[in-house]
Amino acid sequence: MSVIKDWTGRSNKLERIWLLAKIEFKLRYYENKLGLFWALLKPIMDICIYYIVFKIVLKSDVPSFASFLFIGLIIWNFFVESTSGTIQILSSKKYLYEYTNMNKLEIYISTLLSNSIGFFFNFFMFLVFYNYFEKESVGLAAENVWILALFVNLFILSLGVSLLLSNIYIIAKDITQIWLVFTTFLFFLSPIFFNLRTFKDALPSFDYGNPLAGIIINARRVMMEGKGPDMVLLTWDFGYAIFLLLAGLVSLSKLGSKAAEKL
Amino acid sequence: MKNTIAITAKNISKTFHITEDSHNTVKHRLFNIFNPPRQKMVEAIKMVSLEIRRGECIGLLGRNGCGKSTLVKLLAGVFPSDTGYLTINGSTMLMNIGVGMSHELTARENIYVSSSLLGLKIKEVDAIFDEIVDFAELREFVDTKIKFFSSGMVARLAFSIAVKAGADIMFLDEIFAVGDMKFQEKAIKVFESSWIQGKTVVLVSHSMDVIKKYCQRAGFMKNGEMKFFGDTDTAIQLYLEDNQ
Repeated sequence: MSVIKDWTGRSNKLERIWLLAKIEFKLRYYENKLGLFWALLKPIMDICIYYIVFKIVLKSDVPSFASFLFIGLIIWNFFVESTSGTIQILSSKKYLYEYTNMNKLEIYISTLLSNSIGFFFNFFMFLVFYNYFEKESVGLAAENVWILALFVNLFILSLGVSLLLSNIYIIAKDITQIWLVFTTFLFFLSPIFFNLRTFKDALPSFDYGNPLAGIIINARRVMMEGKGPDMVLLTWDFGYAIFLLLAGLVSLSKLGSKAAEKL
Repeated sequence: MKNTIAITAKNISKTFHITEDSHNTVKHRLFNIFNPPRQKMVEAIKMVSLEIRRGECIGLLGRNGCGKSTLVKLLAGVFPSDTGYLTINGSTMLMNIGVGMSHELTARENIYVSSSLLGLKIKEVDAIFDEIVDFAELREFVDTKIKFFSSGMVARLAFSIAVKAGADIMFLDEIFAVGDMKFQEKAIKVFESSWIQGKTVVLVSHSMDVIKKYCQRAGFMKNGEMKFFGDTDTAIQLYLEDNQ
């Protein structure tokens, strides 16, 4: 709790977080010729691969399959970038806390905010694609607003996992490889490219066991089916996210305080 | 009374656990579960208590390896203390030869990030930006990544940010070795004329002249212990005796 108390006590913290997020974003996307389109390129390439494999070769019966993949992949990519991409954050951003008593939580939030800019850019592209190019589109609906709540859920979940992983990294450097294997496993256990019915038949109740699956399922409901989110699933997913965030904050307080001397 | 205190430390200590083998992977830990690493304990700081008031300049003296730098890192909130408690009222900045800056960022970005870390708002940084650049004599390189700078240029930039932005509590570890002779003269002039006044400063130096000139109180350290904390002349005397 001291971490949060200390953080809210500073006057220019929001400005600082935004400044760090902007610089992070610039470093990631504006130091190459394609700029922000790098953020879009990855989901587009993934969509092409999965579309060829599942729609053309395996004849998947999922309607609006490209959009179905698009929304699933941008959520998945945000999660992976915010977790795998931040495992070494306490080492790569050591310059920020090595000589000052800055609260380390700001480093995480600014990095995730920077990823959020990429996410919303991709989300905007999804909206354009779904509404103007998708033949079976149901169009815009009031339920679309729920995506904001789902994003908050995704942000908290990613922040919690990021805090846990990067603090474990201080004492176990091979967490990077372990997490890589785990994310590959998680990727195939999330309904990213197979339809929900197949997923639920094969893995009953697993949508409640995998928080990322729940977020993807609900995102498709609110964006592509014109329905509200499955409230039970949403509650479970918020529960997971908050639990992981609390665990992450404890690890930051216990392990993260030793980052300056151990890394 | 509380507002006049910058740092309160009560029985703080720091022990480093140095292992011979690198037990920093899951694999290594699992394979050596019944063969724990041999640890060497180094007691860097032993039960130090002190209080630093706002606006005070404190000197820290002691021979190499006595724990000055570790104590400074504890007081700056960079290292956590193993025992006791520590209260820091305000932002801190630790300055020595290598000051926290990203080599992937330009001088301009580093000025904004570092100043923001020191508690300044963006508008306040805008107002002092030119002064920082001019003082560091880096006008032509303001949009160059600092990885292309020489170590002297980086140190000058860090010093200039510290001079113009400054944290509430500054820890200066042998900073008068920064830059070339011309820059050193300029730095000392600024330090003497305005900077030190009203700031809480903890000064680590082997130069008795520097400590005597600027510090109202000083501490003498030996083997991780604060042997004396108080009058500057006495601390200097003890340090000189220890060197004989």
